[in-house]
Amino acid sequence: MHVYIYDDYLNRGRYNKTVNRIEIRLTDLGLNGKIIRLSGIKNIRGTIQNEIRLGAKTIVAVGNNQTVNKIIGAIIEADIYGDFQKNTLLGIIPVGPDNSIATSFGIKNEGQACNILLARRIKKIDLGLIGSYYFLNEARIESLGTKINFADYSIEAQERGEIRIINLLSDRSNTIKSNPHDGLLDILIKTKKGDETLLRAKNFSLINERYNLLLDDVIEVKTPNEVKVVNNKINVIVGKDRSFD
Amino acid sequence: MFNRNIKPDKFKDAETVIGASIKVKGNFIGQGNIVIEGTLEGSLKTDANIFVGEKAKVVANIDANDLIIYGDVRGNLKVKNYLSLGATAKINGDIQFGALSVEKGAVINGQLSSNGETSRREVKENDKAKLDDEE
Repeated sequence: MHVYIYDDYLNRGRYNKTVNRIEIRLTDLGLNGKIIRLSGIKNIRGTIQNEIRLGAKTIVAVGNNQTVNKIIGAIIEADIYGDFQKNTLLGIIPVGPDNSIATSFGIKNEGQACNILLARRIKKIDLGLIGSYYFLNEARIESLGTKINFADYSIEAQERGEIRIINLLSDRSNTIKSNPHDGLLDILIKTKKGDETLLRAKNFSLINERYNLLLDDVIEVKTPNEVKVVNNKINVIVGKDRSFD
Repeated sequence: MFNRNIKPDKFKDAETVIGASIKVKGNFIGQGNIVIEGTLEGSLKTDANIFVGEKAKVVANIDANDLIIYGDVRGNLKVKNYLSLGATAKINGDIQFGALSVEKGAVINGQLSSNGETSRREVKENDKAKLDDEE
């Protein structure tokens, strides 16, 4: 059974037509299921966990990066995670902006998303973990003042710029070949002076006294914090045009 | 012949690139090819190849298969295969290499020894023994 999790903001008038189109398309494709609207629900985690216990085969995030993040947050550390990993898939129908996660899965718009759900192409992917927060695509932080500590060495940026800790890229960058199955995180540092640094690691710690980390453009997390990759953590439904193999 | 601004092709998709604004401290053991354009203190090792750019400052022993240097290195170099020192290279330390090329302008303060020297000495000893027998 498919369970569609609609994020709060879909209640706004401007998304009505889009949501109607999605529902008609899903009906045409025979992909009807249960709809859960997050607005008005106090215990989001409990609601999602309950659906998995009841045997949901596919949980579909209808919304944006934040919607996906809420679902992952509800599942990963819960006692139902084992059931989720064995029996349940995560799908996405992107609506509106902030949908880099859907883009990285090869899902460009809501129409394409429905076809992709039908095709049911499945990939197991890693997740990044910072402290107790998971991220699917990447975490970013200001480079100046950031120190990254690995097992045997440390690195420090001397210029302003941006540090990106990448699990899965939302576009096929020619700088790095991000791979969400390899058990490694790519660290890309680009300074305002134009120089680039590229490293790969399984785990490290990160500190910046002035700036916070931003995970998937959604969650802000303070430092110092441990960063690591969790291998093959979730099964997702992906499109042909995804940014990984 | 040597263009200091162009890295050899094999470094274009290097696994690790340390940019000019980055400072590394500690024992860096890399997988695959490494490009250093910034500062590194400690030690640097890979089974593959290392490129040290013109503006790089390395205070470390370096251990690599091929090593190409255009910057400033203070430390001993252990190169299994090919060592190339560009015109702007400054080396303070002892060097062990398989094959060596040095561009005009490179500065070396230290001892050089070829990885092939010991085996050549042994061949000469064997030849001498044969001559003694014949006599």
